[in-house]
Amino acid sequence: MKKIRFSPLFFRRIHKWVGLVLGIQFILWAVSGAMMATIDMEAMKARPDVSPSRIPAGNFVDPAEITDEQITGLAVRSIGDRPIYEVSYDDGIGLFDARTGNAIAVDPAFVRARAEEIAPAGIKSIKRMDRPNLEARDYEGAVWRVDFADAENSSAYFSATSGELLTMRGDMWRLWDFFWMLHNMDYLDRSSFNHPLIIFVAFGTLFLSGTGFYLLFKSFTKRDFSWIVRRKPPSKRVLANDD
Amino acid sequence: MKIRWPLFVRRFHKWLALIIGLQVVFWTATGFYMVVIHIDRIHGDHLIKSAPAQVLDVGKMISPEDALRLYPGATDMRSSSLLGRTVWEISGPSGVKLVDARTGEVLRPVSRDEAAAVAREIYAFDEPIRSVELLTRAPMEMQGRKPPYWQVVFDRWDSPTFYISPESGALISRRHSLWRIFDFAWMLHIMDYDERSDINNPLLRVSTWLAVLMALTGAWLLVWAFPKRRKKKKR
Repeated sequence: MKKIRFSPLFFRRIHKWVGLVLGIQFILWAVSGAMMATIDMEAMKARPDVSPSRIPAGNFVDPAEITDEQITGLAVRSIGDRPIYEVSYDDGIGLFDARTGNAIAVDPAFVRARAEEIAPAGIKSIKRMDRPNLEARDYEGAVWRVDFADAENSSAYFSATSGELLTMRGDMWRLWDFFWMLHNMDYLDRSSFNHPLIIFVAFGTLFLSGTGFYLLFKSFTKRDFSWIVRRKPPSKRVLANDD
Repeated sequence: MKIRWPLFVRRFHKWLALIIGLQVVFWTATGFYMVVIHIDRIHGDHLIKSAPAQVLDVGKMISPEDALRLYPGATDMRSSSLLGRTVWEISGPSGVKLVDARTGEVLRPVSRDEAAAVAREIYAFDEPIRSVELLTRAPMEMQGRKPPYWQVVFDRWDSPTFYISPESGALISRRHSLWRIFDFAWMLHIMDYDERSDINNPLLRVSTWLAVLMALTGAWLLVWAFPKRRKKKKR
């Protein structure tokens, strides 16, 4: 077997070959990183600033009377000027009007009313999804999607169980998210950056950057810097000091 | 003048690398750390044991109306439990208040012993507590979250640290060494050395685009990097 010599040539070869195999991803990382740095984070977060409203006082129904099921939690908040009970069970939650005790269904009318509170523009469509799509992937369970007719093509996502606004996405976010996908290489779910493919490529890329950094020290000669470090012209001061 | 492309591109690639090379090493090294250690571990999910949901006996609790009277202007209240005690956690513009759900007594902020007990209760391992401290200035790792909070540190190699809210007794954050290294790696990755959070900073923008140019010129150089094998001439 030929003995490996750790010469600049050897490192140059590694640099070349890793570049050939993983170079595309390196370019994609650079481009997607640059794009994510360039797209304004603040503008991208389209989420409206909904401050929670005060729970109106009044006569509330005794929560013990709402349901016969065993409950594991109870929350009181308000939607608009309506106080509501959010009851948690082992396997889900239910919404009730705190004044009447009637169950509240998260139906299109409910979602429309909530969407109008935050509407940046007219509502284009309201659609229920049994499972969150990529845009609402941080959440679990069924969601309502409300599309608005604004320039950003904003979509709001409401939980189909609690009726709460989960998130809002616009075209800027969608563009950003595309580059995030290129960056994390999770082309289906776009959420994980700890999968074997990215670990493998990231490991390989260490050799690209490592050898590249090493080669920096081998690729520059004094001549490369001659345009910066000009030869000093003969100085008069030297002559003057020579007394 | 005719441009000698291979030479020109090589020079360009070389000089770009001189400017940005060290940062590229940082990017790949910190990137590797971030992909290798699973984000759930970084978040410290393994440090927490989750308690099974307990059945709530609403009949024995003071009514929401009565609880609300203790905190006019509240925007949200929910049942919760603090060290085995059922409480109403009421939040509003002036913070969070805990009310004993049986007696209606407004609870005082969580004490040192209670904070330690809460931490003990949710900690998934057995190590003893090394220190409990009420912080009035936000440490770096709390990323500007407003104090005060109790800092409970467990005695282990990676110093698992829980931050407990004195108001609600709830766990605000959990940190440990791998998180701290991740945060440092993240800082190097996004080149925001102060806040570690702004991914739109000018330095990062310029550097990343330089890296794009470096990567593209590198790819271009590949064209000449693999010379076709010449046929050996017959002698």
